[in-house]
Amino acid sequence: MNLQFLADGLITGSLIGLGAIGVTLTYSILRFSNFAHGDLMAWGAYAALTLLGLISALVGSVAPIGVLSFGWPLILAAGLSMALVGGMALVLDWLLFARLRAKGQAIIVVMASFGASMALRSLLEFIFTSKPAYFSRAIQMAMPVGLGIRVTPDQIVLLLVTLALVVAMHLFMERSQTGREMRAYSQNPALARVVGIDVARIVRATWMIGGGLACAAGVMVGILVQIRPLMGLDMLLPMFAAAILGGIGSIPGAVLAGLIIGLSESAAVQLVGAEWRAGVAFAILMGVLLIRPTGLFGVAER
Amino acid sequence: MTAILQVRDLVAGYEPGLDIVRGCSIRADTQEIVVILGPNGAGKSSLIKAIAGLVPVTGGQVLLDGQDITATPAHLMVRRGLAFVPQTDNIFPLLTVEENLRVAGGLPPRPESAPRIDPMFALFPDLARQRRLPAGSLSGGQRQMLAVARALIVHPRVLMLDEPSAGLSPKFVEMVFARLAEIRRSGLTIVLVEQNAKAALSIGDRAYVLVEGRAAHEGPARSLWDDPVIAELYLGQRRAS
Amino acid sequence: MIDLLGYGAFFLSTALILGIITLGLNLQWGLTGLFNVGIAGFVAIGAYTSAILTTPETADRIGGFGWPMLAGWAAAMAVTGLAAALTGFATLRLKADYLAITTFGVAVVMQLVALNAQSLTGGPFGVAFIPRPMAGLADTPVAFNFANLAVVIAVTLAVYLALEHLSRSPWGRVLRALREDERAAISLGKSARSYRIQAFAVGGAVMGLGGAVQAHFIGFIAPNNYLPTLTFQIWAMLMVGGSGSNRGALLGTVVVWAIWVGAGAFSSAMVPTDWQARTASLQIVAIGVMLCLILLLRPAGFFGGRRKR
Repeated sequence: MNLQFLADGLITGSLIGLGAIGVTLTYSILRFSNFAHGDLMAWGAYAALTLLGLISALVGSVAPIGVLSFGWPLILAAGLSMALVGGMALVLDWLLFARLRAKGQAIIVVMASFGASMALRSLLEFIFTSKPAYFSRAIQMAMPVGLGIRVTPDQIVLLLVTLALVVAMHLFMERSQTGREMRAYSQNPALARVVGIDVARIVRATWMIGGGLACAAGVMVGILVQIRPLMGLDMLLPMFAAAILGGIGSIPGAVLAGLIIGLSESAAVQLVGAEWRAGVAFAILMGVLLIRPTGLFGVAER
Repeated sequence: MTAILQVRDLVAGYEPGLDIVRGCSIRADTQEIVVILGPNGAGKSSLIKAIAGLVPVTGGQVLLDGQDITATPAHLMVRRGLAFVPQTDNIFPLLTVEENLRVAGGLPPRPESAPRIDPMFALFPDLARQRRLPAGSLSGGQRQMLAVARALIVHPRVLMLDEPSAGLSPKFVEMVFARLAEIRRSGLTIVLVEQNAKAALSIGDRAYVLVEGRAAHEGPARSLWDDPVIAELYLGQRRAS
Repeated sequence: MIDLLGYGAFFLSTALILGIITLGLNLQWGLTGLFNVGIAGFVAIGAYTSAILTTPETADRIGGFGWPMLAGWAAAMAVTGLAAALTGFATLRLKADYLAITTFGVAVVMQLVALNAQSLTGGPFGVAFIPRPMAGLADTPVAFNFANLAVVIAVTLAVYLALEHLSRSPWGRVLRALREDERAAISLGKSARSYRIQAFAVGGAVMGLGGAVQAHFIGFIAPNNYLPTLTFQIWAMLMVGGSGSNRGALLGTVVVWAIWVGAGAFSSAMVPTDWQARTASLQIVAIGVMLCLILLLRPAGFFGGRRKR
């Protein structure tokens, strides 16, 4: 068996994991599975693409950094887009989800997220058409790194960026006051209010983080593969599966589960064929639900 | 004596038209322990939850040190100086003991918060030994201690507790109440809802008996305990004479 | 004039077929409160089951058993019902969101099967030559359309009456109680789950029937018929009509389908060809926004009326 699947799976898996962090946070704190999360990813990628176009128009073309396919304009565009998508998630919450949450029927919020997902995705198709777009037309050479595995410089760097984001996220949740409050709120929202935690602030932080990370994952998929309006929809099932396999609410769990799913997917590509890739997440999801619905690091719900 | 907490004709309930608290008036003076007793369903729990901003209030007033706090959202009550310890689920089980203290609202960030946290561990040495463990691993009595410690850490002026003795063994009940009596000496006012009338009245200064959402009787804790009619009617306990 | 009548019959047939699917969703969501985001997947199961069983023998794929059409429809209901029961079995002891996520997965997997299991489903080319009801009348389009409409009305009516009967039966009352009163659900314990699985399975079977009827009505199916947009349309139809009411479900379907077809016709008449894909996207945006607005402002829909919540 060709070991190349390890590298491919690790990279896809880390992107799934990055997206799943947002899914698991929204689920554990806002108590609903957000079907629009994938579309935040796609919007992030297109936002970065648009900003990149603006920056290039302003400063002219900029040479890429070293052997990478992109330069500082894309990094800047990605950073700005993360803030934009976080803000967009906030607006969506304010317009839609918060109002329905107040009515107290969790599943209605899920339905609204499904409607919002359709609308957001189709709006992208309307603006950008369904034709794939790319950040850069440059083609990168994959370098051999031993054991018959080849990777591109982009893949290595983005893997490291993902790792850094995940570690930063973990530290934030464990060490910062906001992170502690988010964990407390996810365990017991009523008690959180009693002890003086400002719920509105927790909700804002959750959307900013979830949206920002979704955007980051979207931009990275855009760099490594391509940008399409449907890119988020395609990632949705793997992200949900990762959030559940990892155990709802667990960030390390979501990331580890993302890697497991990514590796299984690329193994399946080699063993069964690329066309069945999307079925892997479903198989894993069913397995978890039947065998251990709390996932790897989950806690049974009260 | 000045009333630090004053509740005037409070009307409250979870659903409109179904009031559980029906025009209840109580007060608590500085450094006093006030006990609220009453039969099941009298609205004791709802009363202090309404004071804490957790049950919608439809009428009446809550004054804290003369300031109207009736419409204050629950999470701001702590900052106003009113802390509440719910009866059950009053800790975050997956947070460590220390984190449970740190999430208390209004606590300054880390370097300045240490002087707040250490005295709590001095007050509850049991907790100090387990400060890095998840709070879910604590015993029932220790959880109650942790919940009280978290309420105290923000230096409230009034501490309200909903049945702190529920589910505890007699030994722990004694310990919790001894601690409360101790805490009061630091200048705190305590409002206590209790089923366990005997233990509560033994440390209480004054007591109310709630009936159908109203304060039906009021008096010094000792005298309520000695009143045979009230004891039999409302406290649900036959006095062992 | 005759053309217009013929078109009217055609429009109503397509709408009522979608109405059958909406009725299935109404049993799952309106009556029982089970959230299904994979409607397209279940409809596809029904469509492909019946198509494979009833088509004449073909060389390049399994199937083509030449079964009678009604047998194909019955099989479609059975297979889809079974798939729905399995989905429910795996998820209905867990939180509602897990059912939603799993049904979403079912739709994704069905799409994969339809596209890739070429020897069974014909792959991207789909299955053609599906027998059509009243095929003998195909030479006179108007008569053919009306005969088809009669068949569709008969099926819709049968499903409608059966579901009305079910929802008034003790079984239906249990489902409603389960939905509205959490305590009832807890007191029923394990059998609450079994009731929900039954409701989900029956609803799934109805969706499968809708898919089968649609396949035979068009005579040709392909994976593209079963994209998430279909799921989304059915949801919009039910929510416009008012979930909980079978009549509302049917009315909502006709209204939303009329808006959809009307908007499509408008865009193909008024919008330059190279912009038509874009206006189609805009159509979906509009429906998505409408769905959200209904949830926010009029959760009972427009034609339901009777239900309180």
